[in-house]
Amino acid sequence: MGQPAAKLSVSVPGELAAAVRKCVGARGLSRFVARAMAHELEREGLGVLIHELEEKLGPPSKSEITRVRRAWPKR
Amino acid sequence: MAEALILDAEALNALAFPAERKVLAERASAILRVAHDKRALVRVPAPVLAEVCRGVRYDSAINHLLNNPGVRVAELTRTVAQNAGHMLARLKLSSAHAIDAFVVATALQFDTALIATGDPDDIRRLAAPFRRVGIFAL
Repeated sequence: MGQPAAKLSVSVPGELAAAVRKCVGARGLSRFVARAMAHELEREGLGVLIHELEEKLGPPSKSEITRVRRAWPKR
Repeated sequence: MAEALILDAEALNALAFPAERKVLAERASAILRVAHDKRALVRVPAPVLAEVCRGVRYDSAINHLLNNPGVRVAELTRTVAQNAGHMLARLKLSSAHAIDAFVVATALQFDTALIATGDPDDIRRLAAPFRRVGIFAL
């Protein structure tokens, strides 16, 4: 069962709004915006977690970062 | 869908208890940094919680991590469970490996995924046929 929806009124650049409408159509707009908001919220949270960890451990070494990048599968 | 970083039990413990697992936590921190740079989603397959939750005192650090909006639990769905069963059957593995199979099946829900694991051998066997799943050994 879905959660009750909240109506928001926001202002965005006109070109961006047009591009999004072209991509998803007027009916897909709410879903698109909700997904984008959820993703940005996750990214903010992850940023906070990384900051907490790096305060305790220091920044990760370049060699570890490189090792992770190599392990990541290509799209 | 999207790119994802999938955390197994060892990765989750390393992030929840960085002071006790300093070397592993440094690696796990590097993984999070790359995931953030790639705009990847970070997911913990729900069955992994059965491996790490060991009581109220211990769970508080795990809950702190899971209460962060950047780390979300991926529910065990029918599709994921059935895919995991098929993987076990293909390799003739018993259900003792079920959680590893759930982890790989969760990774397959995304376009590409990196699994951060302390148990790379079993995960690697299960994920071997799937090029869009990478393994990072902690």
